[in-house]
Amino acid sequence: MGPFATPWLTFLAWFVAAASVLVAAGWAVFAFRRKKGS
Amino acid sequence: MDERAIYIFVLVVYMGLLAAVGILTSRRLKSAEDFHIGGRRIGPWVTALSYVAAYFSSVLIIGGGGFGYQYGMATLWIGAVNVLVGCALAWIVLGKRVREFTSRLGTMSVPGFLAERFRAKEARILSAVVVSVFLIIYNVSILQGMGRAFEVLMGIPYTYGVLLSGLIIIAYVSLGGYLAVVWTGFFQAWVMGVGLILLAVAALQAVGGLTAANVALAAVDPGLVETPGVWGWPGLVSYSLIVSFGAWGMPQLVVRFYSIKSVSALRVGAVVATIGGAMALLPYLTGAIARVLHPGLANPDLAIPTLTQYVLSPWGAAIFLAAVIAAGMSTFASVLIIASTAVVRDFYQKGLGKPLSEEHAVHYSRLSSVVVGLISLLIALRPPAMILVLAAFAWAAIASTCLWPILFGIYWKGVTRGGVLASMVGGLTTSLAWMGLHSPFGVHGFIPGIAVGFILIVVLSRLTPKLPSEHLAHVWGTDKKARD
Repeated sequence: MGPFATPWLTFLAWFVAAASVLVAAGWAVFAFRRKKGS
Repeated sequence: MDERAIYIFVLVVYMGLLAAVGILTSRRLKSAEDFHIGGRRIGPWVTALSYVAAYFSSVLIIGGGGFGYQYGMATLWIGAVNVLVGCALAWIVLGKRVREFTSRLGTMSVPGFLAERFRAKEARILSAVVVSVFLIIYNVSILQGMGRAFEVLMGIPYTYGVLLSGLIIIAYVSLGGYLAVVWTGFFQAWVMGVGLILLAVAALQAVGGLTAANVALAAVDPGLVETPGVWGWPGLVSYSLIVSFGAWGMPQLVVRFYSIKSVSALRVGAVVATIGGAMALLPYLTGAIARVLHPGLANPDLAIPTLTQYVLSPWGAAIFLAAVIAAGMSTFASVLIIASTAVVRDFYQKGLGKPLSEEHAVHYSRLSSVVVGLISLLIALRPPAMILVLAAFAWAAIASTCLWPILFGIYWKGVTRGGVLASMVGGLTTSLAWMGLHSPFGVHGFIPGIAVGFILIVVLSRLTPKLPSEHLAHVWGTDKKARD
């Protein structure tokens, strides 16, 4: 059982949503650096 | 102030603001490009939040709550996949190339892009027909959702709710075109976010927190907190995919990448759209909590309206009602402008080969948005059963037709005209036939539709004649003219 009495596989949905923001932010930083470097 | 007066006050202020945006943006509208894609000068915040507003309709809020109520916490995965695939990855994978390619080809619509990219007039006609017909059907379902929201939350008769919201949208879209759509969408996304957060916080307080909600749901049925739980994998996975990956083929969303002011603006837009898209989880969460607080509802779609009246004050409920209406109106407006572009630009101007001056093009586009809007409105007043069945197919039909041609069109030079046409026809007919067979094995028709479309586009592109290399060089921007 994961946090908040949620089974781990269900809790993973919250994690995926939060990680998506990091994916978008990471891509934005990567794209900015690549453009700056070129 | 009594409850009804509060609702009316909030709605009048809200509708007034929308009408003002329509009038203000109409002054900036000078060309057909302004009307259809805002002159390709929309900033990242407005593009991103209007993307979110167009993506999530009132059907998601009310219907998503219904899914949460019926199937429990596993439905949070639908929201999570929306955020990852429908927002973050859509912006990362499609954004830059769609912006660059459509700008280079000078196209303003998905049918226009397909025609120019693959030198296929048939692709323009087929996609314009599918887009306009199925988006009108989709619009009917959105209007119906808003009419029901007015009826259940405010006690306003269905017909008046449909007429009020429909006519306001038609007015501001025909006045301000795409600029009005994105600016009202930007504003509506904030209203949606505030309303959904308000309801989620109040629902969590009423149930005693997330842990208490999970414990109470598990006591009803452990399948309501587990994944895939009571729904099962086929239904959960195929539904999550259609509402997330399917978004990549929806013209009312993809057009946001046409209109953003620059490629660099996409970076900020991707982050804003993903954060805004996170609101997609909230209807499923609140729907599941409603199962604890209001067990035994006759219809799962009543979960959110019932919860709203139970946990929110009249002011809170009025703001939430505005959020539901905002979600419906922003999607309807986005769909309306796309359908009118398909009719005027892709059918009349390009398909039938009727040249129009800038002034006439704007005039006809305005007229077309009024006509398309009124058709949707009239059908929504008394929707025949067949329309409602088709509304559930609208996303699958459009995505099965357009998704692979868009995606392959920006990433694979080897796609041929024959491959694209076969994929469009095969994907569409497979998804419709599958849904006509009542979706065997609980799998949504989108899945077989894109599977067949994928096979056809890959196989036939290897068997049919390639596009000329100078055309591909122009599309990819590697020809001499582009380098100079």
